[in-house]
Amino acid sequence: MSDHVNTDAMPADGLAAMVRRGLDGTLRFVVPIGIAFAVGAVLLLAIGENPLETYSLMLSEAFSSQRRFAATLSAATPLLFTAVATAICFRTGVFNVGVDGAFILGGLAAATFGVMLPMSIGWWIIPLSIGAAMLVAAFWLWIPGVLLARLDVDEVVSTLMLNFVALGIAGFLVNGVLLSETSGNNTTETIHSTAELSRLVPPSTLHSGFLLGLACVFAYALWSSVTPAGFEARLVGLNKRFARAVGISIPSTIIVVMVISGLVAGLGGASHALGQVHKFSDGFSAGYGFTGMAVALLARNSALGIVFGAILFGALASAGTTIQLFSDIPLDIVNVIEGTVMIFAVVELGKLTLWRKGKRP
Amino acid sequence: MSPEHPRTDRSVSTRIGARDISKNYGLVQANHGVSFNVTPGQIHAVVGENGAGKSTLMRILQGLERPDSGTVILNDEPVQLRDPQQAIRLGIGMVHQEFMLAPELTLLENLVLGDEPMRTIAGPIAIVDWKKALTEARALEKRAGVAIDWNRPTATAPVHIQQYVEILRLLRRGNDVLILDEPTAVLAPQQVSKLIALLKQLRDQGASIIFISHKLHEVVALADHVTIMRRGKAVASASVDELDIAAMTRHIMGDAPADPSEQARAAVVLPDARRILRVEGLCAVTVDRSQALNNISMDVCLGEIVGIAGVAGNGQEELMECLAGLRSMSSGSISLNGAELAGKENMDFRRAGIGYVSPDRAHEGLARLASIADNVMAGSQHAPAFLKGPFRNLPAVGRAARQRLANLDVRYGALSDPVSSLSGGNQQKLVFARETASKPQVLIVSQPTRGVDLNGIAAIHAILRQHCEGGGCVVLASEELDELIALCDRILVLSEGRMVGAVRNEDATPETIGKLMLASGDGLEMAHV
Repeated sequence: MSDHVNTDAMPADGLAAMVRRGLDGTLRFVVPIGIAFAVGAVLLLAIGENPLETYSLMLSEAFSSQRRFAATLSAATPLLFTAVATAICFRTGVFNVGVDGAFILGGLAAATFGVMLPMSIGWWIIPLSIGAAMLVAAFWLWIPGVLLARLDVDEVVSTLMLNFVALGIAGFLVNGVLLSETSGNNTTETIHSTAELSRLVPPSTLHSGFLLGLACVFAYALWSSVTPAGFEARLVGLNKRFARAVGISIPSTIIVVMVISGLVAGLGGASHALGQVHKFSDGFSAGYGFTGMAVALLARNSALGIVFGAILFGALASAGTTIQLFSDIPLDIVNVIEGTVMIFAVVELGKLTLWRKGKRP
Repeated sequence: MSPEHPRTDRSVSTRIGARDISKNYGLVQANHGVSFNVTPGQIHAVVGENGAGKSTLMRILQGLERPDSGTVILNDEPVQLRDPQQAIRLGIGMVHQEFMLAPELTLLENLVLGDEPMRTIAGPIAIVDWKKALTEARALEKRAGVAIDWNRPTATAPVHIQQYVEILRLLRRGNDVLILDEPTAVLAPQQVSKLIALLKQLRDQGASIIFISHKLHEVVALADHVTIMRRGKAVASASVDELDIAAMTRHIMGDAPADPSEQARAAVVLPDARRILRVEGLCAVTVDRSQALNNISMDVCLGEIVGIAGVAGNGQEELMECLAGLRSMSSGSISLNGAELAGKENMDFRRAGIGYVSPDRAHEGLARLASIADNVMAGSQHAPAFLKGPFRNLPAVGRAARQRLANLDVRYGALSDPVSSLSGGNQQKLVFARETASKPQVLIVSQPTRGVDLNGIAAIHAILRQHCEGGGCVVLASEELDELIALCDRILVLSEGRMVGAVRNEDATPETIGKLMLASGDGLEMAHV
């Protein structure tokens, strides 16, 4: 995804180089966000709002009290999972845009198990629901993985289309066999209370799924930096011909990362269903898969960047909602900022500099 | 066609040249006060090691780069080249190492592509006048003294014909300054002499030709004048009559020792001729535009270097990929120490003891965006020595990387530097450091010295010999016949995907091999070895 030099943490290789890489990463994180907020400011001015006032209001809405901060973290929770699921594929050079569909199906599976399993099995209901969600989502992304690895089917097309299929399947089921008998349409029954993930700081909706998300990011950091499989995946992402020539199997690497991506996305869906909404209904994913992609791009697949990026977008989402309630500013401003971040996150900063000097690269 | 091109004006003393050109890239001084002159009707060779500044100078002459100081001279006048289009209008044309022809079109279509002769039918409607195009093509053909079948699809035309078309295309557009970047790298010896004749004819008609080469004997055979570059400077410029090969080598190398590959080959005693690698009846079908392989059989013994020669594109790369397990074969057998490898994956070949040095260092031999450490350790990630439980033992990996690089004397800054920070020679040594680390019995080595300077070449030749003396063997494909002759015990020749002959080291000369290289693959019995 990026053209900066990718390095494993090699020992004793000079503090200066580490500092340089850290600075570089920070710059690549901060600049797209700055540009996005500037674009948002232009729009705010155009609709007659004061951007500085709006932004400072958003800042205080997102972080200024324990309750607000918890709401931000709660909004960041699904993004931790979807960003990790996306980053795993992106750093392998597999452009998987199907995390949203896997997240939805995972959520559907978890909610279904949370409703259907007998209460009598007690706390076992949680791991069983989560396990089902992960299996379903992993199978879901295994399909485009195999299509890509064996038949060379472009993964962007297949995963993008499978999102619609997932949405359709889920919509069909929650309007059919899984439809709740008590509460209107397009939704399942509410899950058993034993299946609910615990709330961390009530009354906020922040739940223990957030900790699961952090654990996922940590596991991803370990996988990518110090496991042979993570190393192989990165070489495949950097140069497929090279990876093949040194004896790495490209097809199995692709399938493995797609399945892992599915496991993580399914876990995310389960966390959202069991911890946040306690059921599955239409509109279960507010584009979490795609916001997660923005986070992964912004973070350039680094674990630390994913945590910061998820919190940033969580803050935007939670502050955006409150601001819409109390002022004339539409929530769409958040989407504009998110989209702009995505575009500028993939711009290579080095090229920007050259372009400014009017030189040929 | 070509309205504003200047016709050759013999009255000027400098058709194209440079005065005091300097160009820096960051801290690297690519050109430092370079001056040189090419008169009308002159073949001017520019020689030097990789990184000596030849390419930068040529890019400046084509308007691709602007010098930091100094100027380009055209027809005795200083000019500022803003872009390549302007350079082309002023008559400067470049023949790249990789031809810029569209393979799906015919040679004639390629000749006129972008500047087609048009015929008006009615009012503003005009169509391409193919008759006129063919007439023009025939005239150019005659002017250059070559024969070309213009209606042939480019992809099926031999390499040297494609090269003629590249040159004629420039002539057609009125370019009378031709810059040729290592034009002979892809040609067989006989084709080289034809190209030399063609270029001399164009020179006699007044063209100025700049000729970049690594091969000094070609410079002597072709050029009138030679400019030698070293470390960004033009260190010598003289008529070819005044500089012999030895003197040129001294200028190119500076104080460095002369090329050890010229030394007599140390007598490598062949151990008992134990054949360890056996290839029988290997066939491979065509995928993409590759050359199919037809019934190839060969043996390689311990301690032996076996060369594979052929005009580029006659199946050498495909054969090497089959031997490395990177290309699947349709029938036949490859066995190492009696164990059959046909139908297995590339990692099985590696596990059995076969290492591979790719001809495409930039895209297959190295992962350019990865660090030096990752490049030299790739492929070893599952070795128990580099694992601690399920995790990579990074300190051990770092130590091993340093050890591997030190063993082959690779010069580098830090392990975490990008591999692209190394010079061509050091990059290639790094590839060897990785491939020899697991002590494979057989090394499959393709074009190991492409884009490597003289010092690097000597080091790589030493590595290959050492590998054999240490009990391994090498299959070596190279476009440099001199290299094959200097290193190999036997040289096998491929033509059109068939094995057409084999020559022992004592009988190997460029002529004997060149003759086989040009043989057609059909109906030729393999010469007895």
